[in-house]
Amino acid sequence: MQTVRSKFKTEPFLFHTFNYLFMLFVVVVTLYPFLNTLAISFNSGIDTTRGGIYVWPREWTLKNYEAVFLSGRVFDAFWVSVARTVIGTVVSVFLTAMLAYTISRKEYIFRKPVTLIFVLTMYFSAGLIPSYFLIKDLNLLNTFLVYILFPGAGAGLISAFNMLVVRTYIRSLPESLIESAKIDGASDFKVFMSIILPLCTPVLATIALFTAVGQWNSWFDTFIFASSRQELSTLQYELMKMLSSTVNSNANPSLSSTAAKDTATMITPLSIRAAITIVASVPILFVYPFLQRHFVAGLQLGSVKE
Amino acid sequence: MGVRARKTALGLLMLILAFSLVASACSKNGNNEGGSSSSPAPSASDSSPAASPSESGSPEAPVEPFTISLFTAATGPIPTDDNKIYQEIREQLGVTLKEEYLVGDIEQKLGVMIAGGDYPDMITANAKLTAAKAVIPLEDLIEQHGPNLKKHYGKVWEQLKDPADGHIYWLPNYGVYQGEFKPTDYMGPAFYIQKAVLKEYGYPKFKTLDEYFKLIEDYAAKYPEIDGQPTIGFSSLAFDWRDWGLRNAPQHLAGHPNDGGVLVDPVTNVATLFSATDTAKPYYKKLNEINAKGLMDQEAFAQNYDQYLAKLSSGRVLGMFDQRWNFGQAHDSLVSQGKFERTYVGFPLVYDVNTKDYYLDRPPINLMNGFGITVNAKEPEKIIKFIDTMLSEKWQKRLNWGEEGVDYLVGDNGLYYRTPEMRTQQEDVTWKQKYKAESLWGYLPKLEGNYPDGNADGPGNQPDEFFANLKDIDKEVLSAYGYKTWTDFFSSPPDNRVSYPAWNIDLIEGSPARVANQKMKDLDFKLLPKAILSKPENFEDVWNEYVSEMAKVDTKAYLDRINEQLKWRVDNWTSK
Amino acid sequence: MTQHTVHKVDLAPQSARRTESFWSRVIRQRQLILMSFPMVLYVLLFAYGPIWGWLMAFQNYKPGFSITDQTWVGFDQFRFLFMDEGFTRVLRNTIAMSFISLILGFVTAIGLALLMNEIKKTGIKRLIQTISYLPHFLSWVIVTGLVSMALSTEGGIINVVLMKLHLIDKPILWLGEGKYFWGIVGLTNVWKEVGWNTIIYLAAIASVDPSLYEAAEVDGAGRFRKIWNVTLPGIRPVIVILLIMNVGWILNGGGFDIQYFLGNGQVLDWSETIDIFVLKYGLRIGNYSLGVAAGIFKTVVSIVLLYCANTIAKRLGEERLI
Repeated sequence: MQTVRSKFKTEPFLFHTFNYLFMLFVVVVTLYPFLNTLAISFNSGIDTTRGGIYVWPREWTLKNYEAVFLSGRVFDAFWVSVARTVIGTVVSVFLTAMLAYTISRKEYIFRKPVTLIFVLTMYFSAGLIPSYFLIKDLNLLNTFLVYILFPGAGAGLISAFNMLVVRTYIRSLPESLIESAKIDGASDFKVFMSIILPLCTPVLATIALFTAVGQWNSWFDTFIFASSRQELSTLQYELMKMLSSTVNSNANPSLSSTAAKDTATMITPLSIRAAITIVASVPILFVYPFLQRHFVAGLQLGSVKE
Repeated sequence: MGVRARKTALGLLMLILAFSLVASACSKNGNNEGGSSSSPAPSASDSSPAASPSESGSPEAPVEPFTISLFTAATGPIPTDDNKIYQEIREQLGVTLKEEYLVGDIEQKLGVMIAGGDYPDMITANAKLTAAKAVIPLEDLIEQHGPNLKKHYGKVWEQLKDPADGHIYWLPNYGVYQGEFKPTDYMGPAFYIQKAVLKEYGYPKFKTLDEYFKLIEDYAAKYPEIDGQPTIGFSSLAFDWRDWGLRNAPQHLAGHPNDGGVLVDPVTNVATLFSATDTAKPYYKKLNEINAKGLMDQEAFAQNYDQYLAKLSSGRVLGMFDQRWNFGQAHDSLVSQGKFERTYVGFPLVYDVNTKDYYLDRPPINLMNGFGITVNAKEPEKIIKFIDTMLSEKWQKRLNWGEEGVDYLVGDNGLYYRTPEMRTQQEDVTWKQKYKAESLWGYLPKLEGNYPDGNADGPGNQPDEFFANLKDIDKEVLSAYGYKTWTDFFSSPPDNRVSYPAWNIDLIEGSPARVANQKMKDLDFKLLPKAILSKPENFEDVWNEYVSEMAKVDTKAYLDRINEQLKWRVDNWTSK
Repeated sequence: MTQHTVHKVDLAPQSARRTESFWSRVIRQRQLILMSFPMVLYVLLFAYGPIWGWLMAFQNYKPGFSITDQTWVGFDQFRFLFMDEGFTRVLRNTIAMSFISLILGFVTAIGLALLMNEIKKTGIKRLIQTISYLPHFLSWVIVTGLVSMALSTEGGIINVVLMKLHLIDKPILWLGEGKYFWGIVGLTNVWKEVGWNTIIYLAAIASVDPSLYEAAEVDGAGRFRKIWNVTLPGIRPVIVILLIMNVGWILNGGGFDIQYFLGNGQVLDWSETIDIFVLKYGLRIGNYSLGVAAGIFKTVVSIVLLYCANTIAKRLGEERLI
């Protein structure tokens, strides 16, 4: 192995050059689809059908966005989305973390069965119709609570995936921390609240992000469980409604010739889809940078180790 | 830990905000939680039955306000809460419409709706609903409360009845004409070709595939590039449910109208398959031929709908077999680019020049479509009355033409027309959200054809509107052929045979016929492109493979079901 | 240091613990139990409760009639699924696409995370991270539309670049040849999700004890040695857990949307997965039972694979799922 000193001169330079070039490639490749969508959203629908729109609109228009914002109850729905995302995420992350803590304790008498019960949920699905009956019988249809208890039309309040990720993380924390706290007389709950939670910020931020995005993007649960109460409509659902109607009005073969002609518009499904995507994703994109700083918190860990 | 405190504080703040929102939302509908989605607002259930007998005579007498909840797949812009038409309906008829739109997969939504019995009052047609007995029979209601409906459907009354039990469940939204049927634009299937190609060769008349493809071949050789991009002779589409481009041509070439997957003998009303038979083979062989000449779009069967439209919009596809409404967007795009000569004219090709073409048909009644009333509706008579009222000339014009002065003007001869500003306004989606009710209109029964005052049912069919919209090249083309409208290119259709059409026969969910139908489609999608795109010397082998694979499919189940229903129609649809 | 005598300290030696009775353990661990059982009840009710619906797999389920009111068909639905002449092909496609997506996904996500970690300027690092997961927010419709365009024979960027580099002399119809489909699925999955997938690895990397790096530095380790000896072992538990989980998902076919939107007749033999098959012959034609039957099949296989993967991990001394 070369001596440490000589490695420092050329290697970092070469490596960083390669790395930055590679990252540039990654950025271009991942940024392009988004820029393209942005461009299409600002481009006239009919003009887009010609093709050839890459990262800049050719026939600038705000019509697509106008249609999106004037459609239905976009603004009210936005707040419903915010509510379910915030409440759903906070509740879910807290409960999941707590559960993860319990199964991370090797001495927990029910550790194996509890873990198994949750892990298995990732591999089966009972079906939409039986789930519907359950929600109906519990009087959860058309309530806000169904967004918290049954998000995405699945038992998503506690995600087994998230639980496992947190558990893995907790297991990597030094056991001595917990032991010394217990010697001091702390109960499990206290250990969880005052020691584990603070230390888990990176992983909690991670699963909070996953959960929040899931809640934010969710429309299927509204579709199946809450579609007849307009006050419960979420942003995604309103946007999907709009998209659906655009697709249908251009596509129904049972419409006679006259109707098909009269509904020709400047707005096409493609351009609407683009505008909808931007409107739907921009809010949530702001969440990540906010959570990102918590990922770095893990560096504090080293100082706690004895 | 400052970071954590900050996060907690923000979280709490949002929580409080969110809770207050939720609390206010919940309190609004306090007594209407959970349960079925179908119950009308509390006011409706309070309206006394005593009010109804007094208005059974007049179709427009104000009714005590009540709400109809309905479910549709929206076919137009979603109306805003203050939409003008809905407001008028509320004020004049006392009806508040609470609409729910299909967003995702209809199968899943219907599955849970039916399983849970959670239906709104009105719903759009679907075979599953009839099978699940979710909708009520309508014939008595129409007899008693729907004079307009009874008159409207008079001639086709027998056809409305469900084959299984003889009840009427759905009110078809298209296909019943009051006056004459005079279409101007042609919207159906045809072999389309660019006007530029026709012009280049002096507007030839032709009827066969060979002549059609010769024109394309010559033009492509002369102009290998259009607007800087390679010319494509012939394209097609086989994407998702848009399968007719690939599958339907043979039946028309053989002189049959669109019966879906079968050829039906007009005299005996017996159906036979044409897939993988010698009726279809010549067509695909021809396509294989032009593929060898480099005229076939190599991507035709791998592309999606958007790509297909983009290709057509670029103006470099010389021809395709398609239905006009399917590429409407491309047409509009070409027009907006000013490429009028690149727009298309449809021609009815046939295998044999002596065969009469039957592309243009008399639109059949649109069965299994339109509204029905569910078992959850508390006051079906009121609903029928509402639909009945909407069938009056006043409301039909209100929904289709619009409002006088806003959507159209009345000319000296009493005919309606639109100014260019009005026409542009009709394309403005955001304007339509406030002033039009296209989704509702789409599913309501319609008076089609001409009104007694000479106006067409809607601007689309108003002859003067049509002529005003013609561009120079269009006029040139039409006059060169001696035609007035695009439909003149096609032979006038005979009266529909009793059992027409076969494509809307219900194959019964989950049945062997349905399975066979899907398998036939899969096979067509898989092997027909292969046959077309393969080298000419391999065509026979691929075709034989196709035929033998098709033989493995239980096509008999499919055919039996079709024939059974055709016979039933012959026996039962006596009035026409 | 105050002594609490109420709680028995959890540091009793192993042997002492074993002689404890079940119930006294339960009482001692009541906090842990309280902290977990509400969630267990939740999942039993909401996830396990509706399993009675699996009965539908043995019927010709028609909605609108109660589950007891249906026609029973025994194993017919399963038979339809397995006996279909295309079934082995469909199964092969499903497993292949899962496997390819899995391998590609893991390698690219971990690799990218490691490389990202080497970027020291946090501002740039964060920017790159944020941009890299943007495709995750695009709908599959949009992404597959873009893929379609990129692979087009008419000016699609892939063909253009390959021709410019003289690697091919005429455009390839990528979406028309079955044998390319699996690769397209894998790469599209990577494109859309690699940025998002790095999130979890970056969080794991961030939690590796810095003093380990210092120790490695002292031992004379260079960049790659540090990654190999410190970072990777540090995130190994996360990798193993994710690996085991994904093995259980092998019958999901590497997604659904790509196959749905990009699959076409010409590539059908390669693109059709179990889910697509079930969609076409189940839900679309009104047969709800087929989907349930396929679901049961997938669950059974998943659990078996999961158990195997878990046991292997246990034998190898790795982090286990259960």
